[in-house]
Amino acid sequence: MNEQARLLQRIAFEERGADFLLAMREEHGNVAPAMISKGGPIGEVRTDVPYQLITILRDLYPWLPEGKIAVLMRRCDEKALAEIAKRGFIDEKRIVKIGLACAQDQIEKCRCQDPVPSAVDLGTPGRPVDEDALMKRLLSMSAEDRLKFWIDQFRKCNKCFGCTINCPVCFCEDCVLEERLYVAEKSIPPGPSFHLIRAFHLSDKCIECGECERCCPGDIPLLTLRKMVAKDMRDLYGFVPGDTKTTSPLLTTLENEPLEDECREC
Amino acid sequence: MTDFNPTILAFCCNWCSYAGADLAGVSRLQMPPNVHVVRVMCSASVKPEYVIKAVTQGVDGVLILGCHIGDCHYMTGNHRTAKRMPLVRKAVHDIGVDERRVHLDWVSASEGEKFQNVITDFVNEIRSLGPNPLREVRL
Repeated sequence: MNEQARLLQRIAFEERGADFLLAMREEHGNVAPAMISKGGPIGEVRTDVPYQLITILRDLYPWLPEGKIAVLMRRCDEKALAEIAKRGFIDEKRIVKIGLACAQDQIEKCRCQDPVPSAVDLGTPGRPVDEDALMKRLLSMSAEDRLKFWIDQFRKCNKCFGCTINCPVCFCEDCVLEERLYVAEKSIPPGPSFHLIRAFHLSDKCIECGECERCCPGDIPLLTLRKMVAKDMRDLYGFVPGDTKTTSPLLTTLENEPLEDECREC
Repeated sequence: MTDFNPTILAFCCNWCSYAGADLAGVSRLQMPPNVHVVRVMCSASVKPEYVIKAVTQGVDGVLILGCHIGDCHYMTGNHRTAKRMPLVRKAVHDIGVDERRVHLDWVSASEGEKFQNVITDFVNEIRSLGPNPLREVRL
């Protein structure tokens, strides 16, 4: 048991009365998410490995027994939880948040503009990064150059669906990307429609955690694409995802009143 | 670019724009023959995926026509469209396709002439833009 594990155990189980702790744990040299029960062995917990634990929690949630779940949360996890709870997948009252501030090098890797969680329990808060350099470069390019850049990037896609599976806010039951109407079957690379449809679908819920970019085997700068669409969303409707109180502008009328037959899934 | 004949896809809503297109036809209004009309029940049933698929498959221009705001047969259908399509345009612009290739307009059942104008202007605009760059791309 390391220093962090002891601290976490104290915060989660003793101070905040949780029954489970979801954290990244090192076992046999590999780091993987682990659900740790109260009183059980806690092991070598790691807090420096970036991973969206909220994705795991969302997938495990229907099978979890009663009790409170403590989750190690970065700012992006917090925002993802808000988006998930807003759509009724998780009861926010059952979640005990343990705020984790990202290290400065991680913030720079994510080009994160909002890195500090609402309550910091672990780590020291870092400084936000103002701007995505690649996004700035792309937007100053001509349209032809930008298209050439993205086509070259999308050529590297081998349609592994890593970006979909690891995305904390991808929760449609039937994914449109698996429908051959939109993305042709057996087509590798799948073409720009795959990425563009994904970009559009995430426009009102992407919390810019960067998990898609981290897990992409082709190193496609997906986070930059997300940030570009998020900027469009801000410019058009002034909407920033990650708050339980706000409603997506795509689900309201032009007078910002909620639509009647609202689809909770997409 | 005078010999370039663009392929244009027009999604027309059943209650207004398709009737408007019908009126334009019945009144023998002349318009360019490049437009393929797809009848949909409401402009909101045009999923953004359809537009994205059309653009990425090399269609030169996509036109979405619906009822005027407030006249929708399904009350708030065109509100959805009005919120979605600007975002689609922006997203298309972000990957480097000209956003003018996606156009949203409102045509009611009595506006045969407006239908003619919208089609003519859009075809001329696409003509000046040239072919869709994604048509040539083989991934």
